Amino acid sequence: MKCNVAILYMHDYLDDELPAVQTAELKTHLQSCEACKLRFEQLKRTEAFAMSALSDTSTLPIAAGAATHEAGSDRLSERIMGALPTPSRKRSWTRMFRNHPAITVAAVFVLLMMTSFFSMWGQDTELVVSGTDLQHVVIEGDTVIVPEGVQVNGNLTVENGKADIQGEVAGDLIVIDGSTQLASTAKIIGQNREINQALDWLWYKVTQTVSGFAN
Amino acid sequence: MISIEARLARMALKGDQQAFAEIVGLYQDKLYHMAYRMLGNRQEAEDVVQDTFLRVHKNLERYDQSMKFSTWIYRIATNLSIDRLRKRRPGYSLDAESSEHEGLDGYSMLPSDDRTPESEALLSETQRTVHQAMATLPPKYKSVMVLRYLHELSLQEVGEVLDMPVTTVKTRLHRGRDFLRKKLERVL
Ligand SMILES: [Zn+2]
Repeated sequence: MKCNVAILYMHDYLDDELPAVQTAELKTHLQSCEACKLRFEQLKRTEAFAMSALSDTSTLPIAAGAATHEAGSDRLSERIMGALPTPSRKRSWTRMFRNHPAITVAAVFVLLMMTSFFSMWGQDTELVVSGTDLQHVVIEGDTVIVPEGVQVNGNLTVENGKADIQGEVAGDLIVIDGSTQLASTAKIIGQNREINQALDWLWYKVTQTVSGFAN
Repeated sequence: MISIEARLARMALKGDQQAFAEIVGLYQDKLYHMAYRMLGNRQEAEDVVQDTFLRVHKNLERYDQSMKFSTWIYRIATNLSIDRLRKRRPGYSLDAESSEHEGLDGYSMLPSDDRTPESEALLSETQRTVHQAMATLPPKYKSVMVLRYLHELSLQEVGEVLDMPVTTVKTRLHRGRDFLRKKLERVL
């Protein structure tokens, strides 16, 4: 057997894919070839070291601010679940109507205005960014980026686009008909809301109007 | 026979948040481990884990049950990790490595914020050498090695995750293994 064939066999052997006959051939070659014998020893140890080094979980870093792997893992779970789009908002709507009769009254009022609102909704699909402090906000295509280390002093509203938050938003973050991406460095002091449905949009406009009246 | 994950996925699709949380619980640590071995950086690994689950959530409807759920989720996480690696630095060929760049210490190329004296002390000399060598491996070899050694996937399964023929997996594994052997020669 030539050494280059023996080397191929060595790898197949380590992959657990070398048939018995070839394994025997390899063994015979190793008995007579010092170079291949050394190489085979090295490969076997490499395999063992690689496996132990890569699979060792004790050398994984713990999340910043967490005391243990478990705590770090819990924090990450929370972050993941918190980043998911809010499910079936309609269910919480019905609950709200049941618990707050005054809202039901408001809803009737809202229904009367519905048609005009619906025709307004969906009209503008251009990116709209509004807020009190936009000077450090970066806009790339339809993505609004708050870079890492930057603090937006106030609310940030993004319509028809994506919000990519790496820095801090001191007020509320409201994304309408878009999506939100929060980096691990992101911090939102106020509320973080995503509004994607016509009904939600309507509700948002109504509360804006109502709070506008109140002010 | 329908897998636990497929059942959970179906429940999550109907809006069951708890079911999705179960999926997260099943895979989060595995994905973090994998992404950390790919990227060598805690924060980036956490971001990849989060992005993976967001993608899974968004595409639950499209999950094809003829594929193992683990294959599907590993594929998403691997692709996201590879994307990040490619963005990080210019392409680096394993062939260039045959001339043995000794100054190229992969470990020192890694962000240092995760390297505390404690974590350094936990690493043995061989482990450190393995990680250094892994850091200099191009993403296409690294992904094969990580899937094979960390999750102990069969060559067939690695091929399914990476969506490539087993023969390609073998070639990459063999070249990667030999690359590691050369790097480890000193301590073997
Ligand atoms: Zn030989």
